[in-house]
Parts: sequence; structure tokens; C-alpha cells
Amino acid sequence: MSATPHTVGAPGGAPAPASAPRRVGVPDWVRGVRPGVALAGLVVAFFVVAMIVPSLLTNQDPYAVNLEQTLQSPSWAHIMGTDQSGRDLYARIIYGARESLLIGLGATALGMGVAILLGTLAGLGNKWVDGIISRGVEVMFAFPILLLALLFVAVFGPSVTTEIVAVGLGTAPGYARMVRGQVLSVRDSGYVEAARALGHPYGQIVRRHIFPNAMRPLVVVMTLGVGQSIVWASGIAFLGLGVPPPSPEWGALLNAGRNYVTQAWWLEVMPGVAIVLFSLSLTTLGRHLQQRLEGGVNR
Amino acid sequence: MSKKAKKLPVLVQLFLLASALVALVVGLSACGGSSATGAAGGSTDGSSDVPGATATAVNVVGTEGATKPTGTPRSGGTIQYAHEMETPCLTGGWIQEAYIERQYADNLVSMAKGGKIVPWLATRWTTSKDHLTWTFTLKPGVKFTNGEALDAQAVVDNFYAWLDPETLNPTVSTYIGEYFKSAKAINPTTFQLVLSKPYAPLLPVISQGYFGILSPSTYKGGAEAVCNEPIGSGPFIVEKWTHGQNITFVRNDNYNSAPANALHQGPAYADKLIWSYVNDPTTRYGSLTTGQSNVIYDVPGPDWATAQQQYEVQQYITPGRPDTLDLNTINGPFKDKLVREAFAYGADRRAATESAFEGKTPYNGNGALSQTTPNFNRNLEDTWPYNPEKAEQLLDQAGWKKNSDGVREKDGEPLDILLIYGANSIITNEGATVLQDLQAQWKEVGFNVELKPLAFAELFAAEYTKPTSYDATIGYWTSPTAGVMLITWRPWDGKEPNAYNSPFYNDPHLIDLIEKGNASFTEAEKDKYYGEAQEIVTKQEVAVVGVYTQETTLAVEPNLKGVWLEASQGEPVFSDAYFEGQS
Amino acid sequence: MATYAEPTAGAAIGVKARRAPWAKRIAWRILGAIFVLWAAATFVFFVQQLLPGNQATLILNQQTGNQQTYTPEQLAPTEAKYGLDQPVLSQYRDYIKGLAHGDLGNSYTQFKPVTTIIAEQVGPTLVLTITALILAWIIALATIIFTSRRRKAVSSLGSGWEIFSAGLPYYWLGVILLVVFAIELRIFPVQGGTSLEGLVLPALTLAIPLGGFIGQVTRDEFEKVLDQPFVTSARARGMGDLAVRLKHVLRHSVLPAITLSGWALGALISGAVIVENVFARPGIGNMIVGAAEHRDVPLVSGVVMLVAFIYVISNILVDIAYAIVDPRLRG
Repeated sequence: MSATPHTVGAPGGAPAPASAPRRVGVPDWVRGVRPGVALAGLVVAFFVVAMIVPSLLTNQDPYAVNLEQTLQSPSWAHIMGTDQSGRDLYARIIYGARESLLIGLGATALGMGVAILLGTLAGLGNKWVDGIISRGVEVMFAFPILLLALLFVAVFGPSVTTEIVAVGLGTAPGYARMVRGQVLSVRDSGYVEAARALGHPYGQIVRRHIFPNAMRPLVVVMTLGVGQSIVWASGIAFLGLGVPPPSPEWGALLNAGRNYVTQAWWLEVMPGVAIVLFSLSLTTLGRHLQQRLEGGVNR
Repeated sequence: MSKKAKKLPVLVQLFLLASALVALVVGLSACGGSSATGAAGGSTDGSSDVPGATATAVNVVGTEGATKPTGTPRSGGTIQYAHEMETPCLTGGWIQEAYIERQYADNLVSMAKGGKIVPWLATRWTTSKDHLTWTFTLKPGVKFTNGEALDAQAVVDNFYAWLDPETLNPTVSTYIGEYFKSAKAINPTTFQLVLSKPYAPLLPVISQGYFGILSPSTYKGGAEAVCNEPIGSGPFIVEKWTHGQNITFVRNDNYNSAPANALHQGPAYADKLIWSYVNDPTTRYGSLTTGQSNVIYDVPGPDWATAQQQYEVQQYITPGRPDTLDLNTINGPFKDKLVREAFAYGADRRAATESAFEGKTPYNGNGALSQTTPNFNRNLEDTWPYNPEKAEQLLDQAGWKKNSDGVREKDGEPLDILLIYGANSIITNEGATVLQDLQAQWKEVGFNVELKPLAFAELFAAEYTKPTSYDATIGYWTSPTAGVMLITWRPWDGKEPNAYNSPFYNDPHLIDLIEKGNASFTEAEKDKYYGEAQEIVTKQEVAVVGVYTQETTLAVEPNLKGVWLEASQGEPVFSDAYFEGQS
Repeated sequence: MATYAEPTAGAAIGVKARRAPWAKRIAWRILGAIFVLWAAATFVFFVQQLLPGNQATLILNQQTGNQQTYTPEQLAPTEAKYGLDQPVLSQYRDYIKGLAHGDLGNSYTQFKPVTTIIAEQVGPTLVLTITALILAWIIALATIIFTSRRRKAVSSLGSGWEIFSAGLPYYWLGVILLVVFAIELRIFPVQGGTSLEGLVLPALTLAIPLGGFIGQVTRDEFEKVLDQPFVTSARARGMGDLAVRLKHVLRHSVLPAITLSGWALGALISGAVIVENVFARPGIGNMIVGAAEHRDVPLVSGVVMLVAFIYVISNILVDIAYAIVDPRLRG
């Protein structure tokens, strides 16, 4: 669960480390990186590589059925064991990253897109526009993600697109509210007032001041959101509403692994670890990014 | 003052936590009793050498006598039974509904082990010389649980109600609709049934739970009463149905109409029977291992081996049409018989079945009938062994050439096969695994099979019943008689489609053979006609390709005795069950 | 318009606390709530009109176990019975009229009114979600109170745990808890039903991630407040650390999390769908999956309306709680 994270803009979290002495040649952004964050970055990079060039990370075919080797526990030949059709689980997780990440990115992009549209209009508009849009967002809030997913899958059938739309629309209201808040705060801020006093045209103000400043903190939210979208999409697949077999999408793996959990625990545990690890790494990176963008923390 | 402390790398801690979690699960599953043996699946020599689990159930029809009661049964106790899928109603055309109906209703006759028909509500029966008139003598003094008398008139009312559109039982009507002419009560204990043509399978057919005798007042209440509040004369009475959870049955203390093959006559031993719905296999089996349930339905494949060591496991291989691949003979690539043959040779259905079910469910090569059906044609079991070279040769011959992706092409069209199936409603998880295994093997010879699981609603909205809807599908039709072939091969004429003739294979000669079989009263004749019918569809036309059988499995805890599966449909029987050593 | 979850510092500036009278604000809130309910009902009604396939065929087939197509004459009685032969807009009108009277229609799969079915099943879900929310709060508060601003190891462990647990998927956690604690260790029953022991694992499954999430949000606030001058002065007056944390700091820092709780209750319903599935627990979560699977349109609509209603109510409650906790927002 833990959907749209509201930790953006709440200054806090880990305090910034004491500044290290400046070293020549070391770029700024490397200096401030703690080991934990570096690890998170590696994990994310790993899965991004898995998404783009899976064959770099494994030479096994995730679809290769081998009836002699079903339900093997982890070994050197198959580091995460095999599933009920003899397919290498590690390979399936790697190739599954593509679909899962695609859904996560797509859903976040869609959710953010809708949210920016609605939130900006509400934030910039007058009382009535704001009121109507905010009510609309409330209605969207009243539909938990899974209910939405159930409805969409029933209407449009299970597919990657359906999952992206369902999760995207389900997370949009949370983002929309955030965007609106950001836009409002920037709109009423000092430098915007100054710009208007100076007579700059409104459109230009929106473009040059309001929009960029409002959106900056949301970059962080998006990184956190991708992780959450993946978790939700996997939940949909877990209920059996996901992409048809033999897709190695992580949620589908969890759905299949459920039946073997007392006999072949790795089938259920490993894909879950992948999801948790990826989501966690994104969260860590996101929080780090948040601190960097806000220029560290003053206590 | 705040400390500008350097925190430990968060992620390192999280890795530790994650590893701890994994270690916990590993440790517990290694130490846990129910999964320790790993006899199935963990070995490197294939998963089919599981002791005691190979399918020896050929011709074992019904498992009565499997749990002969030892000692004097004691009354009392509540049987906790975890079933699987919940059905919309307590009566109806679903086999799961027949299972339920067996608990609260009685039939005219019962099918015993080996296919023999024994008395139940009917103590004797005769047929006229032309086999058109059947006269049943009913046991006197039997009452429905609401006090109404179960006499010949009540039976007559049932036959008409089953065929009446308002209270229709579709399975009943599919079996006897075209054979039924009239029913009459000669006197309160004599019931007469008149058919329009001879129907040899009549007695096995009416021994199934769908033909349970309900009180006439039930039918007067319309479809709603039939669905929710049916009243029978059986060993249990429906007390309450909590949707999504369970049915509560209580004992019928006046029960005096047990069938002749029951383990005892008279009321049930248990006070109550709780029929719970637990769809998830892990949870269902877990409820047995933790003692929450005394008996469960459908032992999961992964637990089959260990269940046999700890519990009393019963298996009933369902006769009728097995789980078989239907190939669309009038549209798409399978119009060409050579392609159908290649499909049959192209994947190892036997190995896939044995692997996915871990030895529980037997392979059934005969596509028309399950191996426990009377008049099963044994010669067809090995008609299409796994032979990829032959498959490739046939495809080449049919003009399909492999392209650079390994998929075959002809006239620019790829050999795409759309295989649809009812996920969870008809095909279980293990079945889905079988299909995935086969899909990979078919890929190697050049078929590009797309698996499309259909959700419940998609399936039952009948959106996928046209010749343009699929190239292949898979499904079953349970029946105690080979006469089921009339149901599954009734011609599809475009106007009134027969939903069960999934290959759309219309053949008047085939129907003629089956009808002759239905009108045969000697085994030799039945073998001849039914046998030839099976050969046509399985061998000559390859309209169906066999994979595995349907079945009923139960795992019973050791101190619950007397649970058995009846022979016509594998309906679980609890009226003879009792707890041993109860304090 | 009351402030919703806007913990962003900037937003607090942007949205001014209204000084309008109580009654007017309440009236607006109720109007807003009715709008949300109406919009939800309309959306779910029309979405389900898009469902492919013939509804009457499905109804007939489900009850009989057939998979066949029917002629229009065969379908006519069923269509008449369920009002499916009416034009869409008049079906919609009847539906909304029924809603206004509290009539949610009759289920297509069970011969019962939707309100009866929901009433039978909603209890366990409410018990589950409320218990989960309470547990989540306990977990979050305990973690924060005891691990905020302590030795670095303790503090980062607490923070790390929150981040980790917040990211745990329900289904994964649920399956693992089920297998470890119910099936292997046998501490809890496998089929929980509605018993108290059967409530523990499902509630924990929901509570742990939510607790982590609430913890994260509150921790930030908590640590901020711990640095405020008035806390220092309270300590200078000799107040014990724990007392300071409980009496002063907590009250100020829970505001964002309270707002979250309102939203969380609605989101917990989503989690309940999965948790009830994993633990085979009765409730509307399980029910709606079945209803959607069987395309039982009235039942699906009914559950959606119920969830929207819960969401709206909990938001109103949150506003009230907010006002109680933060005197600045009153009246």
C-alpha cells in the first residue's frame, strides 16, 4: 500500500552529513552520497539494465520449459531455483523487470500527467474552478486502486495497458492534491508577487516561475511513485487479474508461487524480495534526491 | 541540540532485515513437518516417481469400502469439510451443485463400485420389452424433511419440474430432454417413466446428484426456492447458507432412505456438517494440517505426496469426457487435419501432466472419454505419442514453413494458435501449468500458441463460443456413461449451437453410432458403437486430443472414518462418517 | 473548505483557515459529500455499461452452469426481470432514485437485495480495517517515541524499519505470515473466519506497512518539533524525556498523520481485498472480487457506493479530529 507519499516538502528525514573537505575533481553530487544511497543507486541501475538489456544479466531463457528440472531449490546452476515448469526463476525475475517497470513507469507517468493537469488548473484557477476540480479529485479518491483495477479489467480485459491505466488513475488524485498545494504555495510566494508587480504577463509568470518551482519537488514524488505503482500492479496480478501466462511479470510470479509456498518457498519469496528491494531503493534515492533539491537540511 | 550523526547506511540494515526474513522463512519451511519430505518435485530425476501416487485408479469407480468402519460408530460431532469453489445455487447443473445435492436429497437409484446400479428410493425396477417404459417400485414411508410424503407423484413432479423452463435443471435436460416422453404415478409406490426412444444409460444417468428428488413445494416456490431453499429427503438438512463462507447442514434424524451401497442404514452419525469454501489451495490444505478441517477437497498437487503419508487420501477419477484439447475443425489453421495431427504429436502431454500434477492426476490419451468410463476404448490411449520430428514433417507436408523466428508460415500467415480456457473456473492452476509446458514445446515445432485465460464472466457470457473465437480450447464434461458423447458431439448447425461441441465437428455418422450405443443393452454392442465413435473423433479426425482427467480427491484426517466418494460423479458422502475415539 | 492532506509547508500558507461559521461549513461539507457519492454512483454505473457480452446471457449461464448462447426469446424473461430491456438512461434514473431511498437493487447472482448481502459481509471488513488502523498507529507511535533522536543506531534502525515496512506489499507479507505463523508454527488459525485469533494475522498484514508509512510521516514532524524552543524549556523545567515526548511533542506532530488516516481508511479497503483473499476471510473485499468476476453489476455498484461512503465519512471525522487536536483550526 503506502500510496502517494506525503513526505515531500516535509523537511526532515536523515540529516545531511557534515561536509567533507573539497576534493579537486570530485563532482558535487558524488560528494554528498552516503554508502546506503550508493547501494540503492546500484540496485535501481541493476533493474533498469534488466529492463533494457536483460540478456546482460542472465543467459537463461525465462520461457524455456524443462520438465526434468521442476521445482529445484536454489543451486549454482539456478541461483534462485526453478519453478513448476522448470524455468529458471532468476531469469524470470530479470525479464519480468521489463514488464513490471514498464507498468510502474507508465502508471506513474499517467498519474502524474493527469495530476499536473488537474492540480495546476485548480491551483491557478478561481474559487469555482478550484472547487469543482477538487470535488472531482475527491471522487477519484473514493475509488481505491484495487476497485478501479477490478472494474477496468472486467471491462477491458487483463493487459499491460489496463494495469497502467488502473494504477495511474488510482494514484492520480493523491498527486493532484500535491500539485495543487505546490502551485498554490508558489502562486502566493514573494517572488511571484514581485514579478506581477513588475508587470510581467501572467502566462510568462506561469511558465517561468510557477510551473518549474511547483514541479521541482514532485520529481522526488515520482521516484517514490514508481515503486508504489509496481507494488500495486503486482497486487492486481496476484489476484489473477494480470497479464496472461507465461508472462514473468513479478505479480504473476507471486500469483503462481502462492501454490508452492510450502514446497518451494523460493517461488514466492524471491519475486517479493525483488519488488521490495526495488521499491526500497527507489524510496532511498527519492529521499536523497529530495534533500539535494532542497539544499540540505537546516536544523 | 541536535546531533549531526552519521547514520548507518539505511539500505545495509534493510538488507539485513530482508535476509533475516528470508532466513526465517527458509528455516521454518525446512523444519516444518508438512513440507519436509520433498519427495515430489525436489528431486533431479523428474517428478513422476512418487511412491504410491501413480494413477492406479483406472476402472476404480467410486471408493466405497475404502474406509470400512472399524468398531462401533459413535454419534455426534461436527464434520468440518473444506470445499473449493462456491456455486450460485444449492441445486442445479454444476457438478459442484450435484455434490451438495447429494447431502440433502436422495435419488431413485445409486451407482455402486464397478458401475453396478443398486436400489435407493426405488427398491425394484423393470423395463418393457421395447425398453421404452420403465417402472420403478418405491420404498414406502419415506418423507421429505418438511413432512411431505415422497411418493410416486412427487417423483413425477420432479421429472416435469426438471424440464420446465422456470425451474430447469440444464444438466438433466441435456441428458434426458430428447428421450423423455412422460411420467406417471400408477399408485403411491409405483412410478412409471415413458421414453420416446430406448436409452440404455438411463439408470447410471439418474444416479447422479442432479437427479435428486426434491419436495414438490420446493418447485412451487420457483427458481428462487430451488436455488436457495431446496428440501429433500436426504441425510442432512440445509440449515444456513452464508455466502462466501460455508453451508451449515444438520442431521436429518428421521432419515430412513439410504442407498443399498451405503455403509449403514439410518440417520447420519455426525450432528452437523459444515461445508466451507476455501478456494486457495495452500490455505485449504493448511486448514487440514492445522486441524481446522477434518476433510478437504482437491488435494493440491504439490502436497499430494505428503498428504498420502499423513492422511487418508481418496481419489476418484471422473468418467465422462476428460480434460481434452478441442481443435477448431471448421475455421483457422486446424481446418487442415495434417495440422491437427502435428499438434497432437508436437508436445508431450503425458510428461507435462505428470510433471504439473506431481503424479496426482493421470494422463488420458483418449480424447473422447476418460479412462474410468464404461466402454472406454483402451486402444486409443497411445494414438498420438510425443514425436516432434513427425510433427515437423507433417507441418512441412501441409505447406507450413519455419520462418526466421522459428514460427511456421504459410502464404505470409504465421501459425498462430489461440488457445482459450476458463481460468480457475474450469482449469486449475496445475492445468494452467500443463498448458504452459505444452506451449513451450509446441513453439519448438513451430506453433505460436497464445494462451488466453478467460475470466469467469467472459466464459459464461458465452462470448467465445463462435468458430471465430478460438483455434483451440480445453474442457471436460463429467458423466458416468459413454452416452455423454451425444452431448459433446451434437452437431453445431449455426442456428442452435451446441455449446459443448467445441471442435465444431459435425458428423451424422458419428451421431448415429452414439445413438446406437445409447440404444444398446449388451456390453458387446456398446463397446462396438461407442468404441468406434471414440476412434473417429480421437484417431481419425483428431478433433480432440486427450490430456488429463477430471477427478475428485479427498484428504481425510485419520480419526474420521466412513467418508467415501460415490461412483457416478465422485460426490462426497458424509452420512456414514463418524469420529473414532471421540471422548 | 477544510484543509486536507497538505503537509507541505508551502501549502499551509496557501490555504487560509476559514473563519466561516460552523453551520455553513458543515452544510458545505455535506453537500460536497453528496456530490462525491452521486459522482461515484454515476461513474460505476456507466463503466459497467461498457462491460462486453450480454448480461442476460451471463445471468442465465451462471445459474445453470452452461456456456451457451440464447435466442432473444429465451433471454426476454430474464431481461424483463432485471430491467435490462429498458433504455440505459431510464435504468440509470431508476438506479439513482433507488439509491436516494437506500435501495441498492437486487444481486444478479444471489436472489437477495444488495443491501442485505452487504450488511452480512461488511462487519468483518470494518473490524479488520479499523483494527489494522489502530494497530498501525500503535506500531508507528511506538517506533517513533522510542527511537526518535536517540543514539544513532537506534534512531536509524527505527527509521530504517519504517521505510522497509512501508514498502512491503500486502500480498507478499500476508502469504509469508500465513505460512510461517499459521501453517508452520500453528500459532494462529489458518481459516480465521470471524474469530479474534483469526483477526491477528490479517490485521497485522495491513497494519505493518501502514504503520511504517504513518511512522515516516510523523517522524519527520516529530523530530522537527523536538527541536522547538518550547520543548527545550520543558526539559529545562525538569520534565523527563519520555514525558516530554508524550505530552508535548506528540500532539503537535500527529496532525499530518491524522489527515492521512482518513485517506488510509479508504485505502485499507483496497488492502482488505487482498488480505481477505489471502486469509480466506469473509468480508466485502472478497465479495467484490467475486462480484466483479461474475459481473454482478448491482453488487459491484453497491460495494463501490459503500466504500465511497466510508471514505466520505472518514474524511469528515478526520476534519473533526484535526480541529480537536489543533486549536488553531477551530471555528
